[in-house]
Order: sequence, then structure tokens, then C-alpha cells
Amino acid sequence: MNDKAQSQLLRWAAFFLFLQAIILTLAPAVRERTWDVEYRLSHWVGFFVWGIFMLAAHRVLCNYLPERDPYIFPAAALLSGWGLLTIWRLDENFGLKQTIWLGISFAALSLLVRFLRSLYFLKNYKYLFLGSGLLITALTLLLGANPLGIGPRLWLGIGGIYFQPSEPLKVLLVIYLSAYLADRSNIRLSSIPLLIPTLIVTGLALLLLIIQRDLGTASIFVFIFTIFLFIATGKRRILIGASVFLLAVLLLGYFFIDIIQVRVVSWLSPWDDPTGNSYQIIQSALAVANGSVLGRGLGIGSPLLVPVAISDFIFSAIAEETGLIGSLGLIATIWLILARGVVIALRAPDNFRRYLAAGISTYIGVQSLLIIGGNLRLLPLTGVTLPFVSYGGSSLLTSFIALYLLLNISSVEDDEPAPLLDAKPFKILAGIFAVGLAACALTISWWGLVRGDNLLARTDNPRRAIADRFVARGDLIDNNNQAINITSGESGSYSRTYLYPDLAPVIGYTHPVYGQAGLEAALDNYLRGLQGNPASLILWNQLIYGTPPPGLDVRLSLDLNLQQTADEFLAGHRGAVLLMNAETGEILVMASHPTYDPNQLDQEGASLSQDENSPLLNRATQGLYPVGNALFPLIAARFGAETPNTSDLLAYYEELGLFRAPLITLPVTIAAAPADLDDLRASPLQVALASAALTHQGIVPAPRVATAVNTLKMGWVALPALDQPWEAIQAQAAEEAAQSFVKQGNAYWSHVGMGRINQTAVTWLTAGTLPNWQGTPLTLAVAVEEENPSLVERVGKELFDAVLNQQ
Amino acid sequence: MSGIVVLTLRILTALALYGFLGWVLMFLYREVQRQGNILISRRVPGISIMIRPAGQAGILRYFNQTEIMIGRDPGSDIPLQDETISARHAHLTYHHNQWWLEDLASTNGTRLNGIPITLPTVITSGDEIQCGGAALSISLSENVIIESTQRLRKKTSSKT
Repeated sequence: MNDKAQSQLLRWAAFFLFLQAIILTLAPAVRERTWDVEYRLSHWVGFFVWGIFMLAAHRVLCNYLPERDPYIFPAAALLSGWGLLTIWRLDENFGLKQTIWLGISFAALSLLVRFLRSLYFLKNYKYLFLGSGLLITALTLLLGANPLGIGPRLWLGIGGIYFQPSEPLKVLLVIYLSAYLADRSNIRLSSIPLLIPTLIVTGLALLLLIIQRDLGTASIFVFIFTIFLFIATGKRRILIGASVFLLAVLLLGYFFIDIIQVRVVSWLSPWDDPTGNSYQIIQSALAVANGSVLGRGLGIGSPLLVPVAISDFIFSAIAEETGLIGSLGLIATIWLILARGVVIALRAPDNFRRYLAAGISTYIGVQSLLIIGGNLRLLPLTGVTLPFVSYGGSSLLTSFIALYLLLNISSVEDDEPAPLLDAKPFKILAGIFAVGLAACALTISWWGLVRGDNLLARTDNPRRAIADRFVARGDLIDNNNQAINITSGESGSYSRTYLYPDLAPVIGYTHPVYGQAGLEAALDNYLRGLQGNPASLILWNQLIYGTPPPGLDVRLSLDLNLQQTADEFLAGHRGAVLLMNAETGEILVMASHPTYDPNQLDQEGASLSQDENSPLLNRATQGLYPVGNALFPLIAARFGAETPNTSDLLAYYEELGLFRAPLITLPVTIAAAPADLDDLRASPLQVALASAALTHQGIVPAPRVATAVNTLKMGWVALPALDQPWEAIQAQAAEEAAQSFVKQGNAYWSHVGMGRINQTAVTWLTAGTLPNWQGTPLTLAVAVEEENPSLVERVGKELFDAVLNQQ
Repeated sequence: MSGIVVLTLRILTALALYGFLGWVLMFLYREVQRQGNILISRRVPGISIMIRPAGQAGILRYFNQTEIMIGRDPGSDIPLQDETISARHAHLTYHHNQWWLEDLASTNGTRLNGIPITLPTVITSGDEIQCGGAALSISLSENVIIESTQRLRKKTSSKT
């Protein structure tokens, strides 16, 4: 019956791992969305080693421990195989090492089961074991090393093999405490024989660890010791006392021990420092959120973004790639081991073995809870391994030795359980495990489901940039379907190419490091396929690839031919040109100089933001220039020859929209109404919008730059203007004023103005077509940061000539 | 296409994981059932005791509980009104598939087949217990044992 149950469960575990291994093999095909890829095969070594050694251990168990508990071995085999495949997925070198360690661990388990039936020598030589454990740990103080070269030096290295003595020390401590307490039945809390040696030993162990700055192991020691005292005495006040003690340590440590302070701060308020000390925990939450319900599939997520994913953060890697379903399954499997551990303790034939089983369960349970809770920001982060799952030879071997002890104790043939004075401590122990794991399960649901979308939309989520490499972003094209920004390359190495770099301040960029700017940022949802696509398509892509669907192309109202004319004039100057359809508000030209080349962002990105010429600034919408007399034609339209007073003029400017932000898919900057008219500032966009009223029937249009999006189902769909047009002046007055600003030989009205505040001088040109013009009514605003009326006049003439002849 | 294949595999993986957990639950449930059956089949084999208080005619009594108290106390299972017998003199208990006789620190002691006992001692059919002046002769109903063992075998073999 036992053997049958165990082999059935092992079959399920093997089936699960087999499927995971196939998914990992196929993962590159899914990521790159083609069958023509290099498949991952190396992890099958791990799978087969797991299978063979697991089967051998199973045989040995069936032969030598027929009455053992049939659940914990399959559960441990499942966890260790799952961890192994996850490690292979994260890093093949570590995968190979872990495979060797797993083979050694299974072999050690088999040998121990085969040759070591009685545990009594443990009890007899408890001081020897503990002493040697402490001694080796003490050696790491002198000879300690860290295989990675950085971080706490907790390892002993011999010939490239590293061993972490604090791992077995946990089990040695459990053995020692079991033996010590089993020798003293009916212990009272106040009894001196109980307290002095245990406190000395535990304090010594803690001292070693605090000097080594290993917070995780130190807290595990405290928990193990507390639960032992609780089980031996059955006094609930021990738990309360230990909680108070831990809180006090946390508070004291917060003020005096930097490692605790860092951990506590990044636990309580991670969002304050997302790139520094809280980087790990936020990336971990992002990974859990990315896993959502079903997970991305092994090899398809991006768990490597979380630092130390192979050991400390393996749980979040698993949560990302197997989702809520997988991580809940993992937690249930850990619960199975813990619950069986407590049952084994209750059924144990004597107190030594009872304490030992309870202590082993405590060790596995506390360590799992600490690291899972730490990964999920349920607890402060402590760098411990997840038993059976995480990378690490010492940790894996120790877990398997603990498993051997549990299996050995569970295999009681005829003996009756030892009498139990009080069942309460065991019930409470099982309750602590259950509540802790349930809290972890709820927290995964919180990050994965409730907070998931919010988290993934964070700009520091690198998964968006990764998705951009695998999914084509939509193109930006001009009004004549000429490409401006396109996606080039193949799936896996897509990149953005900017065919008209002079537009950079307007159209912006999208970059894995520098993020997004300009129209690329404003239209991101369309370009990324998250808007304009059916919700079902978006969901489907999210489900199978974990990415948005292919992006949609967006057509802009810009006209590259006219744009080029404007850019040629502005080259070498600082300023902006804005040519707009005065009726519809569509912007045909938006030039801002100086500019930069977004294709060179990799090299120049960092220096651009420091550049004193501010090339990143879109001067057409964000440049606040002194207006001066640039709006003189509009003043003439309203007030005629009169000179209006300041308050009337300010009210008029308000009607023209100079103090409100124009709604357009671009970042805009506005200035508040000034006390003194000389301080009036406005952006070229605002001036162009106001001038459009003069050109076209006194109406201020709603500006527009993105005109249509190419959807899959309905083709090109118009994008509406965001703003509403309004009437600012009477059509008749506008017409008369426009006529009075026509210069000799021109077919358009124009006005050159000057603005000056302090040292900044700006030359303006406002111009527009005339009311009798039969074509598209156009209006122009030019601003250059110098005194140069002839330049702005030439820009105006050139552009109007081009437009008027064209039509 | 590869996405759909892998999606299917991902769903299958989830099913395999929960298959594992489901089977665990099933085996745990079976274990509860089996444990229950074992405990039921371990019903106490009846014990017949011929009670002969000093100077009286014997009475044959049959018990099917796990603990039988012998003593002067009227609440005892075998009350014996005799000055040589303590209030709680001795008891018979059934555990580890055996009937055990234990003397409860009685004044005059308990003897089994004439030998005074100090430790719990296994008794069997034909044994004679002397408590003070009273004598009790034991006969275990073998039938019950055999029957219960057979029932146990049948139940466990049908499960496996």
C-alpha cells in the first residue's frame, strides 16, 4: 500500500517535470514565434539524472523502510526536480552543478536509508555533532569565501567546491536540542538546567552568524530554538515572549545594525527606492505579477530580471513561469511535507524522535516561510534558500538529510507512539505553518491578480522593453504615407529606426534604457497594440506569449516635404516652426531646433539631457517664449485702432486660449497669466492656434497631430481631436484684420513680431492664408531665439509658396 | 502556433501538478478509511471470567470492554465483597492484542497461577488469578479473535 502510493505519486511528479522539460525545450520557439530556432535541450540531462536517482532511492525506500510515510519522499522529489529545471532555465552552468548535487543528495539518502537504521548514535554524540558543526562554522570566520566573489563570506572552498557550513548546522542544532530536551522530561520553564546550556549554545550560534551578517540563518536559529522550547514545555507564553523578543531585536537592529535597517526599510517602503535597496523586492513583485494565473511557461518569462533568482528568489521565478496555479501547488506541496512532519512527530515512539521530527519540520517550515514571505514582501527579506528547491549544494544535501531523518522516524513498525502529555504545541505548530502558507498564498494572489496590472504598467518594468524586442511596434507615417519611424530587424532583435531624425524633439523615441518621449510616448498604446485591437486579441497574446499583440501603425498629419523645408531654414538656429490647417487643427509642420538623432541614442542618450541647448525639448509645444507684439494682428481684429487696457487684453488672451493647455497627443507647457503684459509667455503652438482664428472665421481649432490608426478589422480609423474648437473673434473682424496684414506681393497675411524678456529675444512670425483662398486654410507660427526678422520672413515665404503652388 | 502548443502543455502541466496533489488527497482519504477499519476490526476479543469469591459459588461473566476493574469498590466491573481485597485491587486491560493483568498496589497482592505479580503480565485462557481470597479463571473467546482477524484481512486485501 505504501509503496504503491509512493510510486503513483512519483509517477505524477515525473509526468509534471517531463511536461515542464518539454515546455522549456520549446520555449525559444514561443519567444521568437517561429519554429526555426535553436531548441533548449541541455536540461534533459537534469531531468534524466533526477529520474534515475529518484527511482533508485524509491527502490531502496521500498526495500528498507516499508512502513515509512509515503508522501514526503514524492513531495521532496517533486520540489527538487522542479527547482532543478528552474535552475537549468535560469543558468545552464548552475543547472549542471545542481544536477550533480541532486544526484549526490539522492545517493546520500539511499545510502543512509540502506545502512543507517538506528538514530540513537545521534542522541549519544550530540555534543560531538554540535561542536564540530560550530567549529566548521567558526572556520568560515577565518577562511570564509563567497563563490560569487561578493557578499557575505559564508562558504568554505576546497578546489572549486564550496560548502556552506551554516546549512548543516541547522540540522545539527535540531539534533542537539532534541537529544538534550528528550533527556529531561517534564521540563519547567524556570528550570536552570534547561535554560543555561540551550541559551549558551544558541547564543553562540547567533553570535557567529551576526558577525557573519547572515540574518536569515540567525533568525531561523531563533525560530527553531523557540519552537523547541514551546514543544518541550507546552507554554504558550514562550511564543509570545519570542515574538516580543524578535520585535525588540528588529527595533534595536533597525537603529544599530545596518543590514537589518536596510532590510526593514526596503520592506516597509519599497516604492521610495525602487532602483536601490528595494530593487530586488520590487522586481520580485513584478515577476509574480507577470506570472498572473497560468504563468508564462518555463523559459518564456523573464525571471532573470530579479537578482539572485537561482537561490534567494527562486520562488518568484517559479511564480512568474508557472503562475498562481503553479505557486499555489508548490505551497501545497510544502504544506504536505510540513503536515506529514508533524504527524510523524506525533506518531514517533519516543521523545527524542518526536522532538527530532518536529524540529526538522520546523526547520523546513520556517525556512520556507521566511524566504517565500520575503519574496512576496510579506516579511522582511532574509537571504535563505528554499529547501529542496533553491540552488545550492549544502542546502540541498542538508534538506535531503532532513528528509532521511523524517523518513526514518516515520518508519515505525509495531511500536506504539510515545505517550503525549499535551497535544497543544503540535496543534499550534501545524497551525503556524498553515496560517503562514495561507498568508503566502493570499499574497501571491494580491500581487498576481489585484495589483498585477498596476505593477506591470510601471515604467521600471523591464518586461515592456523586452517585449519590444519580440513584438513589432507600429510604424509612424506622415500624411502621404511616407514612413517616419519604423521597426526593423527580426523577432528577438527588433529595434526602432528613425527615418527622419530631424523630427526627434517632436516625435520622440522609444528606448529600453531611456524610455519614451514625444509622440512615441503619447501614442504608445496604439503603437504597442494595446489600444485599437480587440480585447480578445490582447488577452490571447498575453496568455500565450505574455506580450501585447503586434502594434498598429499610426498616421500623422505631418507632411514630410514641408517639414523638410522648415528644417532646412531652422538648421543652425534655435526655434520652432508650426504650420497648421486653420480649419481642422491638423499640424502639417512641427519643427523644433536644435534637434538630435534618436538613432544614436545608445551613445548620446546620457549627454542629451545635460546639453545646454536642450535638444530634447519640443520647442513648438513646450517652448515658452516672450510673446511681445506677436499677436498684434489679433489685437487689431478685436480692438481696431484703440489701445486696450491691461485687464481687457488679458481677458482677450484668455479667450484666445493662451492660459490653458491645448489638448493634443504631445506634452505641452503653458504659462500662467502674468501681472505685467511684458512678462507674457506662450508656446508657438498656442500662438499658432490663436492665429488660426484670424485665418479661419475667428475660430480657434482643436489641434491634432495623430490622424488615423490602422486597425486589423476596419483598416484606417480616424483618431478624433481631443479638444473642442471655439469662436474667439467675430468672423467678419478676423477677415478684415487678416486683409490688413497682407504684404505687397504676398497671397497671405503675415506679421513679424518681437518678444523680449531679460536677455531672451525672440522673433516671431504669424501668418495665414486669406479668407478668399479656395484651398485649405493654413496658418503659420515661427519663433526663433534671436533677432532675425528676415529669417522668419523667408521661412514664411518659402512654406507658403510651397503650399500655395502645391494646391 | 508554437504558442498554442505550449499553451496546451502549460495547461497539462497545471493538471499534472494538481493530479499529484489530488492523488495525495485520495491516498490520505484512503489512509483514514484504512485506519478506521483497522481500529474497528481491532474490537476487543471477549473475555469470560469465572468469578469465585471466597466461600461462594462461582459466576461466569462475559466482558467485551478494554478495561476491567477488580476491587471491593461497588463501581468495579468485578466487585468482590471481601475484606482481603482492596478497593481498587487489580485491573485487566487489553492492548497490543493481549489481555494484561496489573496489580494496582493492593494490600494483599495479586497472584497469577499462584505467583505474585508486580509488573503488568499477559494472561491467556486457563490462567487463574487470585485476588485475596477470590479466584478468577480466564477463558478468552478465541472465535472472536479469529473472526476479527479474518475480517481485517478481508478488508485490507480488498483495498490493495
